[in-house]
Amino acid sequence: MDTFLQALVSGILLGGFYAVMVLGFSVIWGVMGVINLAHGEFLMIGAYFAWAMFRTFGLDPFVSMLLVLPLMFVVGYALQRGLINRVVERPHLISLLVTFGLSISLANLYKLIYSASPRSVSVSYNGSVSLGPITLPIVKALILGVALVFMGALSLFLQRTRIGKSIRAAAQNRNAARIVGIEVGHVYAITFGICVALTAAAGAMLSMTAPVFPFMGPPFTLKAFTITALGGLGRIPGALLGGMLLGIVEIMVATFVPGVGTNLGIATSFILLVVVLIVRPQGLLQGLRPMEVSE
Amino acid sequence: MTKRLGRFFNGWGGLVVWLALIAILSLFPFTDPKGVALLTATQVFILVTLASNWNLIGGMTGYVDFGHAVFFGIGAYVMGILATQMQGYILIAPHLGFWPALPFAGIIAALFALLIGLPTLRLKGPYFSIAMLGTFVAMREVIRILKPFTGGGEGLDLPPILNRQGDYYFMLGVMGFVVALMWWIRRSEFGHSLIAIREDEVGAEMRGINTTAHKVIAFMTAAFLTGIVGAFWAYQNTYIDPDVVFIEKRTVEMVMMSMLGGLGTVWGPPLGAATLYFLQDLVWGKFLQYHLLILGLLLILLVLFVPEGILGTLGDRSSTSLGRLFSRMQRRGDG
Repeated sequence: MDTFLQALVSGILLGGFYAVMVLGFSVIWGVMGVINLAHGEFLMIGAYFAWAMFRTFGLDPFVSMLLVLPLMFVVGYALQRGLINRVVERPHLISLLVTFGLSISLANLYKLIYSASPRSVSVSYNGSVSLGPITLPIVKALILGVALVFMGALSLFLQRTRIGKSIRAAAQNRNAARIVGIEVGHVYAITFGICVALTAAAGAMLSMTAPVFPFMGPPFTLKAFTITALGGLGRIPGALLGGMLLGIVEIMVATFVPGVGTNLGIATSFILLVVVLIVRPQGLLQGLRPMEVSE
Repeated sequence: MTKRLGRFFNGWGGLVVWLALIAILSLFPFTDPKGVALLTATQVFILVTLASNWNLIGGMTGYVDFGHAVFFGIGAYVMGILATQMQGYILIAPHLGFWPALPFAGIIAALFALLIGLPTLRLKGPYFSIAMLGTFVAMREVIRILKPFTGGGEGLDLPPILNRQGDYYFMLGVMGFVVALMWWIRRSEFGHSLIAIREDEVGAEMRGINTTAHKVIAFMTAAFLTGIVGAFWAYQNTYIDPDVVFIEKRTVEMVMMSMLGGLGTVWGPPLGAATLYFLQDLVWGKFLQYHLLILGLLLILLVLFVPEGILGTLGDRSSTSLGRLFSRMQRRGDG
């Protein structure tokens, strides 16, 4: 029983990270229909930023996270203006190829700069507290808290602010949004900027719990895809639900299936994805746009 | 003029020219080539074969496969396991070479394609692409975990047999066969059905084409042939581990070479593979660490500016899938 409870808590903590990690991917897919295969690489960039700041200035990754937000917003805005806006109205295949190219180039650029050896950040409060039979890692609990704050903030931003409303309008109907005077290219660029910034922030937090290396990205891109397909495109509660589900399943498999360890995380999420696509191809929750799946 | 040339190469003329080229290439070892020339040529043949295989599912059928290297890896590992772990069980002996294991490599790769393809190829849109990327990354971990069988991260050492001339002729034969097969598929009813699926899947289904069966068969064919190449590569390399077999580079190269030559054409992938190989040898051969960075940037530039590839730019646009897609969108924009 204790093992089960411990696994559940670990799963929820992992799920909290997954939920904040997936936000950017989910919103980009939901708003502009682009599947960003370079998602994991933006996470990697944030993680390297936090590592570099920690090594040179001894800066806490939670502080670097706040610094990386505006930086990566600018990068994301420029990328969307220069690159993604050119392909956003074309079929899926084109944007997939472009973001695939982006992912390969970014990972290898970072390999040239930082070499392929894994780095890690260990903060002073890296321990854990015991609550009865359960041990609670402090860093992961903090990440869960930050994740909930980010989700609340993004939710409020999309629901209440003028630019958030334009983003949702552009997601529902690009042409109608143009007719009522929304500059769709600009709105898309802001969306991409916010999403990339959030992803990099998640990456900065990830640097405390996982090794940082240039090729860490693709597994996270795949998990982001699974979670988004589970939870609905561009839906924030869906991201939380899907993230929790994946986190718990992953930890349960690692705990109760002998001889597997955590290495099968990707395979687990992949099997989960295939099962969901077969049983309920429209996802668990309804998203900003329907998934284009049919027999 | 270019139109007539295109018709010539898609017709019997293309096959005649191709077989003549193979015949000329088969004389190459008799010129007593120096150093690694034979090995280099074999590498180019491998690239041409892989690009053509990828093009069958990615170009002709229009289902972009971001993890095709998984079949290469499966082929390599089937060969590795049969040659090292199971010598007593199946007819594998050094004097027989790798021949008895070769069909197993292809068949297991094809069965794996069936397993993955049946659920994911029924879905429209990008699900297949992502599922294949997932399969690729997951398989590397699975191989690492199945340590008693696969040697885990330490890999497997195959019995070395150095026979560069034999390697050369084997790969030349496989390449000749695969490209000729693509030429035949492109002309056959099966190939026309694949292209119908790519152009308009719902329309193809209305016309009575069993789209899922066609897609799965095309996918299994590509997987079978890629598995064979992987098995050969394992034998030639004499050492396999998860990190040398399952590398992203191989998939990226397959995508790039098909795109460069002309997606969905018969002669595009061979042309693209040869062009890319010599380009990288000449232009950035001294800076190998930049290889994938340049490939990634090149892929973005190709998609943005030359989506129809070399063949589509030289000839008429309608001979490649992306070219057609773009002309269609331009028409829609004008109208």
